[in-house]
Amino acid sequence: MNVRIVWAGRNYDLAASLPDELTLPESASVDDALKMLSGCLPHNRRLPGTCLIAVSGTHLGCLQSHRNQPLKDGDELLVLWPVAGG
Amino acid sequence: MTHARKPSMSTAALSPEELTRYARQIGPGVLSVAGQTRLKNSAALVSRVGGMGGPAALALVMAGVGRLIIAHGGRLIAPDLNRQLLGSERTIGQPRAAHFADSLRSMNRLVTVESIDHEPTDREALELTRRVDVVLSCAPTFEERLRLNSAALAAGVPLIDAAQWGLTGTLVAVDPGRTACLRCLYPQPPEFEEMFPVIGAIAMATGAMAALEAIKILSGTGTPLFGRLWMIDGHRGLSRQLDLQRAADCPCCGPSARPAATDSRRP
Repeated sequence: MNVRIVWAGRNYDLAASLPDELTLPESASVDDALKMLSGCLPHNRRLPGTCLIAVSGTHLGCLQSHRNQPLKDGDELLVLWPVAGG
Repeated sequence: MTHARKPSMSTAALSPEELTRYARQIGPGVLSVAGQTRLKNSAALVSRVGGMGGPAALALVMAGVGRLIIAHGGRLIAPDLNRQLLGSERTIGQPRAAHFADSLRSMNRLVTVESIDHEPTDREALELTRRVDVVLSCAPTFEERLRLNSAALAAGVPLIDAAQWGLTGTLVAVDPGRTACLRCLYPQPPEFEEMFPVIGAIAMATGAMAALEAIKILSGTGTPLFGRLWMIDGHRGLSRQLDLQRAADCPCCGPSARPAATDSRRP
């Protein structure tokens, strides 16, 4: 199945070098997708645990503490690096 | 969703001058006369009034909120002028709060504007929040945002949180005790970048949308953003809304949270 990836917040300048779609096994979960994405990050880069995670418009928590759930074909996985400028 | 009024608040009717002043925003598709009247009899706190809070405060004043309290410390510096529209070259080096308040008053003498020349402490945030009907959190740090979140929850006052970085912005609206609060989203404060990149256009857009949410809540117009996060990615022209989930163990709004302080406003 294919899952669309949206990098948001402070990720967007990094996103140009990251995939905007993943091809995953039919039984894949959110954690499977996040593990695959972490392997795509440039050397020495990692996403902070405070990144918000959402699937197809539903917030699941943050990277360090979120609800894991099965993905389905056509889902959109959003990874939002929190922003706080004033 | 219309919020109950503070018992102590006045319900003054619109004057002929106000009906003329706000004629373009009273009618089908915008505010009703009753909604404009509710706005007139409402108060808002905007902390801080820089890149996002400035446009938010300006939009609230122009729309006719009855009373506005702004909080912002420090003096205006030249790099602020790429986004802080309440400042000007003439006021570089001057304390922001007093000058920003004057700028707002010059836009609408029918609105009462109060200013505080520093960022509110925990105690001040709660005291200020109890005096208003909505809080707009436009601060640059998560520490301040979470402080305003706690104050809004304790006072039972809706919170609009506006944030930005680079060409992107986010809005969150919190209906205390009913929808996810900022602490539900951020159990640990995310890292803060002191010299965050920002361009005025996205800061103004995000601030203006925060004001629109406040106007909707105060006037009882439209559907507020409660329980959702609105992400605006100006870099790629993307926009998304997320349905936010309350955290069952949230120390601010979960079952283990301390009981809210006096809350005479909730239905």
